[in-house]
Amino acid sequence: MPSKLIPTDYREDAPVKNFLRDDTKFASSKIAFFQYLTVAIFLFLVSGFWQLQVQNPDYYLDRAARNRIRSQPIQAPRGKILDRDGRVIVDSHSSFSLSLARVNLKPEHLKSICEGLDIDYPDLVERLRRFDRTRARYESIIVKDELTAGEIAFVEAHRGQDTFPEMELIHAQRRLYPRGGLAAHVIGYTGEVSEQELNTTEFARFRQGDVIGKAGIERQHNDTLMGVDGQRRVIVDNVGRVRKVIDKKEASSGRSLTLTIDLDLQVVAELAMENRRGAVVAFDPRTGEVLAMVSRPAYDPNKFAGRIRSKDWMEIRNHPENPLLNRSIQAQLAPGSTFKPFIAMAALAAGVADPSVTFHCGGGASFYGRYFRCHSAKGHGSVDLHKGMIHSCDVYFYNLGNRLSIDKIAEWAELAGFGKRTGIDLPGEAEGIVPSTRWKVRNFRQKWYAGETISVAIGQGALTVTPLQMAHAVGGLIMGGVWHKPHLVRDPSHAGEPKRSDLDASHVARVLDGLYGVVNEGGTAARSRIPGIEFCGKTGTAQPVSRELQLSGKLGDKAKDNAWFFGFAPKQDPEIVVVALYEAGEHGPEAAPIVRDVIKAYFDKKARTAPPPVMAAIPMREEVAQGAQ
Amino acid sequence: METFLNRYRNLTVLLVALLAQLVLLAYQVRSHGDVRLIRVWAVTGVMPLARVLEGVRSNTFGFFREYFVLLDVRTENERLKKELGTLKMENQFLKTELATADRAQALAAFQSRSPSRTLAARIIGTGTGANSKVVFLDRGSNFGVGKGMAVVTPDGIVGKVIASYPTASQVILITDPSFAAGVISQKNRIHGTLKGQGHSICMIDYIQNEENVAVSEWFYTSGDDRVFPKGLPVGQVKISRQGKMFFKEVLLVPSGLQQGLEEVLIVLEGVHQDIPEVPQTQQPLHLLPAPPRDPASGEAHGVLSGNLSTDADQMLDRYKRIGETQGHTYGVAGPKPPNFNVTPEPPKPPRAEPAKP
Repeated sequence: MPSKLIPTDYREDAPVKNFLRDDTKFASSKIAFFQYLTVAIFLFLVSGFWQLQVQNPDYYLDRAARNRIRSQPIQAPRGKILDRDGRVIVDSHSSFSLSLARVNLKPEHLKSICEGLDIDYPDLVERLRRFDRTRARYESIIVKDELTAGEIAFVEAHRGQDTFPEMELIHAQRRLYPRGGLAAHVIGYTGEVSEQELNTTEFARFRQGDVIGKAGIERQHNDTLMGVDGQRRVIVDNVGRVRKVIDKKEASSGRSLTLTIDLDLQVVAELAMENRRGAVVAFDPRTGEVLAMVSRPAYDPNKFAGRIRSKDWMEIRNHPENPLLNRSIQAQLAPGSTFKPFIAMAALAAGVADPSVTFHCGGGASFYGRYFRCHSAKGHGSVDLHKGMIHSCDVYFYNLGNRLSIDKIAEWAELAGFGKRTGIDLPGEAEGIVPSTRWKVRNFRQKWYAGETISVAIGQGALTVTPLQMAHAVGGLIMGGVWHKPHLVRDPSHAGEPKRSDLDASHVARVLDGLYGVVNEGGTAARSRIPGIEFCGKTGTAQPVSRELQLSGKLGDKAKDNAWFFGFAPKQDPEIVVVALYEAGEHGPEAAPIVRDVIKAYFDKKARTAPPPVMAAIPMREEVAQGAQ
Repeated sequence: METFLNRYRNLTVLLVALLAQLVLLAYQVRSHGDVRLIRVWAVTGVMPLARVLEGVRSNTFGFFREYFVLLDVRTENERLKKELGTLKMENQFLKTELATADRAQALAAFQSRSPSRTLAARIIGTGTGANSKVVFLDRGSNFGVGKGMAVVTPDGIVGKVIASYPTASQVILITDPSFAAGVISQKNRIHGTLKGQGHSICMIDYIQNEENVAVSEWFYTSGDDRVFPKGLPVGQVKISRQGKMFFKEVLLVPSGLQQGLEEVLIVLEGVHQDIPEVPQTQQPLHLLPAPPRDPASGEAHGVLSGNLSTDADQMLDRYKRIGETQGHTYGVAGPKPPNFNVTPEPPKPPRAEPAKP
């Protein structure tokens, strides 16, 4: 057949003929070869495909998943906070949170996750939407803290790649604070360091995500309490599940901190201030150790232990009674009659309060053209220093103040520590105000009027103090002029050197007699007497606003008089001073039972923890003594 | 047209193949199926053959087993006829015992008394992963089996369905490293999470070191995982010891896998049940009442208890009770100050709710 096609002229041309015949054969055999080769390759690929996709898919999936190394931080537990007897006030506990990896997140999974973990679905969707706007896609979002054992089981059971691979468990060390805000203002709380804080020198050394002390002792002694985080390198699969730990550096926990706080007294003071607004400070005047410190209303630090919910934060922040304020060291209020012992000391030192000097109280007196009332409308009659102290006669102290100048009063107030920080180891302590002629010129560019001194003499006017300042000042006075620095950590290095002043012992004794009479001689705190204990003290009723504003009723509860009381015991060699501020308590005696309960708790504890009496030495028999020799 | 197709036959075949692949891909994407079609077809295609082969295998083995058993029985009967008549009765008793222990009967009995709706299934194959513990069952979506359903036996839980095909389903066993389920201890009702480890022993995670878990204690499903209904047996504790950090190291022998696996039940609709009480195995021991507590040492020290409270919380409770005991309101003037050295009354138990008619 092909020969017919070949032109005659070329029939004898063998090379050409052969070339044409061979080319056809060559082409067909090549095509067949390539066809078989293609089929073979295809079959090879199909067999590989079969093995990968049908025969052993799980095996290869498993192998592919085992190729990621991740470095995981191990959070160090913070140190415990203990009371003076080693009892645990604050501890740490292990906790788990759920985060969603937004890279793997499938919106259709959210409903089931919410259902399984009791999360509000619309709320979560809204949070995710907000998060998407501000954060990078690779950042995970924490959707629930403090997972229960059941919720952990749900997450573990469903976080495989077959179900909800976006779920991740995060292990954290969470602070465990006492319930009900007990000692909340002393302890403070922890939280993640914020961006603003990272820009300050105090927190510049920390990294994003570090948990630091934000308030109270947690903040003041953050370096002691904070441990050193560890780290482990692990191989994780594609859903973040740890397959193997390569190496591990253990975390070292923070050091425990022993406070001067006595839980017995703290608890009694907390119970006494329940449903009240104010503060209590118990203080050892011999050492400066703060035995109890309460501020009410309080907040629950456990809410801050993880990430505080915005709803909780707004509730605390917008609370009309400001629970974040540590009233023990930050409430600057007029002390009322609790300031009178210092006026008495100043007057005795200046010689204007001689025991023979008496003033008549008819329910009020006029000074510089203005009538100043006594708290007793019918008056106290003829009043000397002792009677003036016991019954807290305002007219008597108006007269003392009038005889003293404001600068003399200020000198004594500053000597007692008013008008400046005590230096307690807590952040945010307030200074208070001790008015003087210089103070008025500096702040108002006005001269001091003698009529203003009359109010200051009964602890009113521009004078403001904090409860801790009052406890510190009283402590120094009853110790005869030795003021120890208040401190909360039970470590001698925190005490510092006390401030000393040579007070006349007879003057101190006269003031102490008066303070004893307040409780034990039918004075203003007679109802708070403690049989068997030389309990002394002084009541104070302080007007927070002018009488006109009080009567107008515009400020409601906030316009009511504040009740103050300081007490100490025993009269000789006092061991404890307690100051109570009961805001809107209206009458000073209302604060006295608070102090009484704390003082009683102190002496009851002292009785039950006192060592048993030492047995009289039994004379050793002669032979036993010789044998021993 | 025909000439054209013949002329470009290879190209046409290639185009048709590509088109078909595109169509199939589009179908898979549209159908939102998370299982590859090729796998579905392969499993659907292979399963009838696998079932036939499994039937042939089991029938053949059954036949020979029966044959030899019958042979043994006949020989035994002949021997017994020659020997004592009493041994005949013993043989009959053993036969009855064997029949009672029959797995299928046990399964049926469990199925009938369980409040959950279950479906019996046979295991027809196992997975091939290096560490994975996966089996195939002969029941699939045609029988209502769905992904995430629990698989159990009368002895305990077995695993959960991770993929469901029309005529078969794939089950991950509780020993697989990626398996987890919520569990609860029988005695102290402590919650934890069961995890597979790739071998015959499972671990229970997230149990605090302070909790008390005894060796041999039973664990049951807690229902927390929303897969297994509460109250199914899981296994017995083999090892329970303090962990290095916060959680106990608890190892458990799963009871559902101890007798081998042939037939299982798939829980189609689960119903939670109560955890059975620990049976009283011993006579109660007579104990003297506790000595009176020293008021000075009334407060607990140190150890963080399981209910997460500090010493401060316990002190608060104690002083509240002291106040209640003496009728004292803190911070309020009364006729006499409280005595803080009295032993407070123990906390009152919560009042029982009156029985509803």
